[in-house]
Amino acid sequence: MKKLQELLHATARLKLFKPFAAVFETLEGIIFGPTEITAGAPHVVDNIEIKRYMTVAIIALLPSTISGIVFFGWRVLLMIIASYVAGGIVEVAFALIRKREIEEGFLVTGLIFPLILPPTAPIWVVVVGSAVGVFFGKEVFGGTGRNIFNPALVGRLFVTIAFPQIMSASWQKPFSDAITTATPLASYKSAGELTGLMDLLMGSVAGSIGEVFRIGIIAGGIFLMLTKVANWRIPVSYLASVALFSWIGNLIAPDLVAPPLFQLLAGGLLFGAMFMATDPVTSPFNHESKFIFGGLCGLVTVVIRSFSGYTEGVMFSIIFMNALTPLIDHFVLKVKYRTAK
Amino acid sequence: MTIKDLKKTESFNAFMNGLWRDHPIFSLILGICSALAVSNRVENALAMGAGVTFVLLATALIISSLRNLVPMRVRIITYMITIASFVIIVDKFLKAYFPTISESIGPYVGLIITNCIIMGRAEAFYIQNKLGKSVMDALGNGLGYTFTLTVIAVVRELLGFGTILGFTVMPEGFTPWVVMAMAPGAFFVLALFIWISRTITGMESK
Repeated sequence: MKKLQELLHATARLKLFKPFAAVFETLEGIIFGPTEITAGAPHVVDNIEIKRYMTVAIIALLPSTISGIVFFGWRVLLMIIASYVAGGIVEVAFALIRKREIEEGFLVTGLIFPLILPPTAPIWVVVVGSAVGVFFGKEVFGGTGRNIFNPALVGRLFVTIAFPQIMSASWQKPFSDAITTATPLASYKSAGELTGLMDLLMGSVAGSIGEVFRIGIIAGGIFLMLTKVANWRIPVSYLASVALFSWIGNLIAPDLVAPPLFQLLAGGLLFGAMFMATDPVTSPFNHESKFIFGGLCGLVTVVIRSFSGYTEGVMFSIIFMNALTPLIDHFVLKVKYRTAK
Repeated sequence: MTIKDLKKTESFNAFMNGLWRDHPIFSLILGICSALAVSNRVENALAMGAGVTFVLLATALIISSLRNLVPMRVRIITYMITIASFVIIVDKFLKAYFPTISESIGPYVGLIITNCIIMGRAEAFYIQNKLGKSVMDALGNGLGYTFTLTVIAVVRELLGFGTILGFTVMPEGFTPWVVMAMAPGAFFVLALFIWISRTITGMESK
């Protein structure tokens, strides 16, 4: 990380880039936060702010977004716009009524929401989901920073329950128009068929818009963790726990539980673990609780994937653990700062 | 008697309290469980509302007339017996004349016995007040409950089935919102209803 910053400094100092010094400064500010030390009060100890958080998150989401547009066509862009407009209206309406600033948090929610939808989902579903997600997921709790559940996931959960037919039969293979119901996880569940790992990595399988190009997700996730916008503890413990439990499960009941490598790559696990479980608002703030949070997310995911009627459990597991977040923090603090009696 | 005079009478006040000011659902948050369960279709909501109103009226009638005869120690059991008898009448009536509705809200009719609104009103009002006032209170509460249930049911049936009272309203190609037909949908709509009503009555700001 330090080296990267030095590299950026060195490049900025080159004569060739002198005219662009301001650009580099902004870039550095966005990625690493301001480095200047304030001369007088007020001193800000933390050099991060919401705007920078959100900008970094959006940069990390770019590979998934672009690959989504490339794979599934320009319709995806339309869905993203629809999501921004619908959620934005709710956000602005609340900001006006409450006489507050419009909060930047929505920039990420509005982008993540279409990325976790099936590629052929109708535009009005995007509108309903985005509005419901922002409204019931965030604004009724008081806006950014006060929500219990991840707003994008609330929207996704709502449309999943409200329109089951649309949501389960809107999948599409990249670069083709054929609508299919068979995502890798679904075909494993119905026919015990394992999709090749390379296909999963490169994204040539059916799935939600943002989840198929997995190399891009991994790159974006690593970027998020390096810039410390996402804490590495949650994705690592989440993925490790999925690997562990699916390995154990696969040894005991190979018909029900898919093998670990397949589970790690299939479905929305990578996307969820990198971009949604790490949501700083709805995940625990203690280091120890982050491990517990990720670990339990993994367990719930494997259980839902293997033993329930749903093929994918990432969404449910994160929403479920969101609800337990305050509880985990509470008990970890109690154990950590136990006073001797 | 002019309207102005009417507004001053105790019975009218009792009626209006039940209907709006101390509305059981959005003001006191009572009787929520049945409101969630039977508000998926308008006909169910109307039947349930009528049932509850009838039981409330009958309870008010009986408890209020017996209020000086019932010893305080056994008053709760008196409410229970009274309410239970009338609930059974409602149940049998629905079974005989509206078998389809009875089938879809069956268990919840029996649960009117435990509906907090009726027990609450009996304990808070009918045991202490005169017959006329009690009956007006029962009418107000019953209509208030029915009104709420119907509003919620209109939204839920419209979105969940695309119909109102069984008639198709939504255009062809409308996709039903399955969530609205299930209990979670009721939570969303009820919460919105409580929020909006409280904003209108200015209760939130207090």
